[in-house]
Amino acid sequence: MAWRGCLSHNFKELRILLCQSSPASLTTRTFVEKNYKDLNTLNPKLPILIRECSGVEPQLWARYDMGVERDVRLEGLTEEQICKALEDLVKIGESLKA
Amino acid sequence: MGLGLLASKAMRPASRIFNSQNPRNFLFRTIVSKPELQKPETSAAQAQPDPPPVDLPPRTPVAGARVHFPNPDDAIEVFVDGYPVKIPKGMTVLQACEVAGVDIPRFCYHSRLSIAGNCRMCLVEVEKSPKPVASCAMPALPGMKIKTDTPVAKKAREGVMEFLLMNHPLDCPICDQGGECDLQDQSMAFGSDRGRFTEMKRSVVDKNLGPLVKTVMTRCIQCTRCVRFATEVAGVQDLGMLGRGSGEEIGTYVEKLMTSELSGNVIDICPVGALTSKPFAFKARNWELKGTESIDVTDAVGSNIRIDSRGPEVMRIVPRLNEDINEEWISDKTRFCYDGLKRQRLNDPMIRGADGRFKVVSWRDALAVVAEVAHQVKPEEIVGVAGKLSDAESMMALKDFLNRMGSNNIWCEGTGMNPNADLRSGYLMNTSIAGLEKADVFLLVGTQPRVEAAMVNARIRKTVRANQAKVGYIGPETDLNYDHQHLGTGPQTLLEIAERRHPFYSTLANAKHPVIIVGAGLFEREDKDTIFSTVETIAENAKVVRPDWNGLNVLLLNAAQAAALDLGLVPESGNSIESAKFVYLMGADDVNLDKIPGDAFVVYQGHHGDRSVYRANVIFPAAAFSEKEGIYENTEGYAQQTFPAVPTVGDARDDWKIIRALSEVAGIKLPYDSLGAIRARIRTVAPNLVHLDEREPATFTASLKPASSQKITLTPFENVVENFYMTDSITRASKIMAQCSALLTKK
Ligand code: SF4
Ligand code: FES
Repeated sequence: MAWRGCLSHNFKELRILLCQSSPASLTTRTFVEKNYKDLNTLNPKLPILIRECSGVEPQLWARYDMGVERDVRLEGLTEEQICKALEDLVKIGESLKA
Repeated sequence: MGLGLLASKAMRPASRIFNSQNPRNFLFRTIVSKPELQKPETSAAQAQPDPPPVDLPPRTPVAGARVHFPNPDDAIEVFVDGYPVKIPKGMTVLQACEVAGVDIPRFCYHSRLSIAGNCRMCLVEVEKSPKPVASCAMPALPGMKIKTDTPVAKKAREGVMEFLLMNHPLDCPICDQGGECDLQDQSMAFGSDRGRFTEMKRSVVDKNLGPLVKTVMTRCIQCTRCVRFATEVAGVQDLGMLGRGSGEEIGTYVEKLMTSELSGNVIDICPVGALTSKPFAFKARNWELKGTESIDVTDAVGSNIRIDSRGPEVMRIVPRLNEDINEEWISDKTRFCYDGLKRQRLNDPMIRGADGRFKVVSWRDALAVVAEVAHQVKPEEIVGVAGKLSDAESMMALKDFLNRMGSNNIWCEGTGMNPNADLRSGYLMNTSIAGLEKADVFLLVGTQPRVEAAMVNARIRKTVRANQAKVGYIGPETDLNYDHQHLGTGPQTLLEIAERRHPFYSTLANAKHPVIIVGAGLFEREDKDTIFSTVETIAENAKVVRPDWNGLNVLLLNAAQAAALDLGLVPESGNSIESAKFVYLMGADDVNLDKIPGDAFVVYQGHHGDRSVYRANVIFPAAAFSEKEGIYENTEGYAQQTFPAVPTVGDARDDWKIIRALSEVAGIKLPYDSLGAIRARIRTVAPNLVHLDEREPATFTASLKPASSQKITLTPFENVVENFYMTDSITRASKIMAQCSALLTKK
């Protein structure tokens, strides 16, 4: 899980968009509940913006340097898959730097 | 042959008949005396069988109002003109008639004020009652048969009108209320066509209520709405009724100005022209004005307003009904700041020359200069600050532009240098403004709602009056217009409550719906994280946040703040401004200009020549809130948008368009060029902002956050708003606001 600490090296901002109540956002909500504290403790300076809006499809957005952004749609993903998606976004960040 | 010709042929004989009639009929109106008017008999006395209700067409309540039954068992049925309606127990006859779709004429009754029952305009007939009854003061009883359209009711109204007009001056041609006057309208609808009054009319000395409300007290009809508004809603006991009989007057007894931040609302509730707007006096007639429904930006409440304009000029601002936010009131700042929109405006792009003077240039040149400078500095030396009045679109564009330039140092005024924008619950009013009405205990931490958000304060006051809610306040000495307990001035008291040592803790813990409101002024403090976690501890101990009730609130200060935090305007480093070489101030006039290094290049984009212009190297003129379409999110997370009421001044442009143009000149074109496209972009950052007219509540509470390890300092909380009337570039440019602050603020 070492990548979790590198979030702030690769990301400028991480955004999680989700709905407050829809079943499609359920796993994203549990993902936030379980992982937010950990991610925030490991990356205290990184803005992890959690934005609720009714009816919105759950999404994960990463902003890298120079305003480059990548997103992943989270509908239908399990919690582990969301973790994996986040890890992939970190890897993209590494490759963008290189 | 066209149909039109056929029609005109068919018309001709008819018009000939019409013309051949005696022309005198058009000049003199025959006076018809209706026998029913001469001899009114209670129709109730005539035994009329009730028409079967099934035959009646369904009626819609007045203004489409909905009836809320707090307890379904308490529903009663009454008959209005034979039509049966179900209403909750405790409603008045007048309200029952409204539900039945019958609008009863009235002067003194106002749904948000207590009932006075002194104008008698609302008389209706009730079966089995010997006299007509004042419907606004009479509770509806089960099975009551109300008749609103009988000769007795008509006669009664006509009589009341005649009495009211007896002492009312014939001022209509020079009265500012003309065209929107209840007395005028109702005398047309219900009054008699002649008066029998031949004596002298009474006259009353005008009162001086300050720079906002003009009084012509001879026009007053003693409805006492203004007195009730002042004591009940505004919470000032200044106005009252003096004298008796024909000597009765409204006044302040001793000459005294009305020092309330809501005083302007008496202009709207006064049914006649006795209280009118002083700045608007003799400026326009209401039928010449074009109304544009918009949003107020002078505080974080987002009051709903209507901007009345004539041509390119904003003539006045009046409230619009929104039960969730401002009900039907607005603060004086909202109502009277509009003259600031006409003064000190920036209308051309300008560059400061070598001699220190501004030179007017074309947009092309100004943009080229700025783009060139922006490319010459290192990315981390670029800093952007959004101002208090910025809309979401422009903040989005500025953030994207700076990000693409490689800089991450952008923030919004008033959020502090280290804002935590992760969880929306951490900066929103989670209870919602309307939700405050349920509360029974308030704890105000470092916030003075009366000057920071007058409409929220009015809600708190309403709750204190209705529920006898207790209010505890921590902060500097202040003047709240309801009973409160001043618990302390700083974090010390907060710590005591958190450690359950303070007596107020048990009050909070025993409350059914406790509410804690934390002022956004605390965002600027060094130890804000610890203060917030102390408040969160209190909230946890006292069960302020429960699954069914979230009583932990932050009260923001500026219109831009909530959207700025939602969009993630979070600076990467806390002291970037000290080392900045390129500073982009988007309407930011409250940044500490001394902190900007002397060799930095400062761009000011905004609508007013306010404080920051003195430091700017380049000026981009932008549109004010009355001239553009922009999204604003209020302190409770309710996104709304403004609409352009008047054209922009000179060469000014919408904020986001300027940044979009600059990005193109700088060679990093932003991928949107229409309002729809930039809103689509916002949807990928904070989709709640484009859900207009909806409150998107935050679900994740502070319990997700790791505890803060900062040291708490014991410096007391400070006043955040020094002068209620002047808080931003528009209000600082306003003459009326300047007068108010000179006369009305306590020194
Ligand atoms: S001043 Fe206006 S609101 Fe006040 S009592 Fe007179 S008519 Fe009513
Ligand atoms: S409205 Fe009923 S008495 Fe005035």
